[in-house]
Amino acid sequence: MSGAPSRRGVLAAGLALPAVGALAGCAPDRPRPSGGRGPTRITFWSAIRGSQEVVDAFNATHDRIQVDFEQIPSGTQGGYAKLSNAARAGNAPDVATLEYPQLPGFAIDGVATDLTGLVSDRTRDLLLPQALERATFDGRIYALPLDIEPMVMHYRRDVFDEHGFEAPRTWEDFADLGRAVRDRLPGDRITVFPTDGGTQFASYACQAGAQWFATEGDTWTVSLTDAPTRRVAEYWQGLIDDEVVFANSVGGPQYPAQVGDGTVLVRLSGAWDAGAQMSSHPGQKGLWTVAPLPEWEPGAGVLGDHGGSTFTVTRDSRHREAAMEFIEWQVSHPDAMRARLSAGTSSAFPVVEELVEVARRALPDYYGDQDIYGLFAQEAAKVRDDWVWGPRMTSTLNLMHDNFARAAAGRGTLVDAMRAAQDGTTPDLRALGLSISEREG
Amino acid sequence: MGTGAPPPAGPTTPHTAPSATSPDPSGTPRPPRRAPSGRRSARRRELFACGLLMAPFFALLTAVFLVPVGTAVWLSLFADDRTGLGFGPPNPSFVGLRSYLAVLADPTFTAGLGRMLLFCLLYIPLLVAGSLLLALLLDSGAVRLRAWAQMGLYLPHTVPGLIAAVIWLYLYTPGISPVIGLLSAGGLNIDLLGVDTVLPSLVNVVLWSNLGYNTVIFSTALRALPRETIEASVVDGAGPVRTALLVKTPQIRSAVVTVVLFSLIFTLQLFTEPMLLSQSTSMIDSRFSPSMYIFDAAFNRNSYGLAAAASVVLLVCTIALSYAITRWTGRAAGPEEER
Repeated sequence: MSGAPSRRGVLAAGLALPAVGALAGCAPDRPRPSGGRGPTRITFWSAIRGSQEVVDAFNATHDRIQVDFEQIPSGTQGGYAKLSNAARAGNAPDVATLEYPQLPGFAIDGVATDLTGLVSDRTRDLLLPQALERATFDGRIYALPLDIEPMVMHYRRDVFDEHGFEAPRTWEDFADLGRAVRDRLPGDRITVFPTDGGTQFASYACQAGAQWFATEGDTWTVSLTDAPTRRVAEYWQGLIDDEVVFANSVGGPQYPAQVGDGTVLVRLSGAWDAGAQMSSHPGQKGLWTVAPLPEWEPGAGVLGDHGGSTFTVTRDSRHREAAMEFIEWQVSHPDAMRARLSAGTSSAFPVVEELVEVARRALPDYYGDQDIYGLFAQEAAKVRDDWVWGPRMTSTLNLMHDNFARAAAGRGTLVDAMRAAQDGTTPDLRALGLSISEREG
Repeated sequence: MGTGAPPPAGPTTPHTAPSATSPDPSGTPRPPRRAPSGRRSARRRELFACGLLMAPFFALLTAVFLVPVGTAVWLSLFADDRTGLGFGPPNPSFVGLRSYLAVLADPTFTAGLGRMLLFCLLYIPLLVAGSLLLALLLDSGAVRLRAWAQMGLYLPHTVPGLIAAVIWLYLYTPGISPVIGLLSAGGLNIDLLGVDTVLPSLVNVVLWSNLGYNTVIFSTALRALPRETIEASVVDGAGPVRTALLVKTPQIRSAVVTVVLFSLIFTLQLFTEPMLLSQSTSMIDSRFSPSMYIFDAAFNRNSYGLAAAASVVLLVCTIALSYAITRWTGRAAGPEEER
């Protein structure tokens, strides 16, 4: 693997950083060495693999700031609860990791703070605009994105070639192909409708033009059952009813088995899943190809995303400048990317162009001669910049999962599931004191 | 107590009398005043003794019940309010009944409450009928090695609910469960954690844990019964079944009511078993029972006001149902006991 940090790169980082520090130094609250002449110490929590390597690389090249890293469980496995509780007790870390869907909730709870004044113009220019937009609410920046993951279609090219299937361009083609797979390859299905994949479903709805949450003036509009969402829900419901797709959870052991034994021919997921596939199914090397997600209207050029993380400075941080310097380095410095990739294969799509190059070069040979990063870059440009996640998204997604599972068991439909998610979400938002307007678009 | 006469000299009077009269500056005893003051003082002592003896109870009641309930009510009336979109500094403010309205308008909470009532309808009759049957069998003498049987029945109760759930989770999960394996080998495919089967499966777990315990309660009540009544019924020619159903059972009625009441309270607060089973089936969601709703509101949705309001609603429901049951059974028992 070519992802190990090079010595020259580490040295270059040491040279490049004072420039960032100088820019950040314009703001009043400069990091001061705590307790005399020692470096400023900041704490960092993350569940992202490779974070320890990133922190080590940062500490090796920085004298004024030293980062203490703590690996925490992933968000839904308790990481977010840990962060909330720490913030309530007043000892949240300086830098915390949040995924896009959870960012608004933590911003409303005051854990993720307004970073607008801390972000340097240089960094702002480096970041992919639609990714930064996801971290901006009411005109204020609450986090800096690390990666954005456009939805793509991963498919078994060997099976497609063998049976003369073509990669579907539209959802109609996709459904037709699904029926062909069901009829011609007994036991196999084109894909899985993930009953625990609320974020996948969100990205389908996003692509179709849905707007589940929006901020209009002082009001949150909630419309989890708007017309585009109903269209997507009815489409997938039809595929489930006709047994064109499997409908099961993808978090458990069942899904890797389905992929591994070849009963599932297509995976619809974010760009990162290409790397996850390499690690979990090394034996399928050369069998998979990545293509753009099917569209409702050919050439519409609109896409949703699936996955991706951001970093924020919490309200308990007493070294906000130093924390921001670390975040900026993490998301934009090539050495940070090299260090991250040294921990293992990843195909996450970074939001800084220079890092895409680093990631591309580090990628092991699995997809033959396909330039998957070229495809990701092309698809990332289509990701909608006006998608907004809700203020209690973990809970909304849980409600969706609960009801998707029921729908898959023949109890209610996916449209009912979205209605139930809306009905279960609004009381939470009202209890927060937010002004809410429900809309069925 | 009469109005005019002084109280008979109890053990307290020798001590109270001098102390009651000594402050009198004239030194002359005044009998008419002495009696009421002595009585009052005796009463005060009585009250003091009562207070002293009941103080631990009230201290505990306050510490473990009133203070937490008060805190919950207090929490439920306040919130870190955010105006408009919510991206401002929090503004801790009094929100009145807003959290209560949100809880009561939340279909996931009311559905959880309804689910637990359904659970009660399944669980309590099975529990009472099952443990009563076992207790009557043990008491009838039809069972040999009664002590051993009783212990065997009681053993599951000593297994913590968490472990019980793990054991049953193993037996319920397709692929690892030998029971499901055997059944499917016999051509019977059943998903014990499916959309319709999950509630009965859960009832089974709880029943397994609690059946023996309640059998012991019933057995103890049966053993305390006056043997004459049973002898009388035998002399009158009642068979063992009639004796059990018509003589013994009515006499342990209060034990049955207690068991129903405790089971109801236990069910409404059900948490551990569904929480653990939810790891394995998506048919148990994160707000399956009211207690899980409260946990989810506090720790996943970070909304303490909502969690507190839901706790108070649950408490009120529990108290109301318990009261209704005691009133209803009390009234039904009333005429019989008067006769």
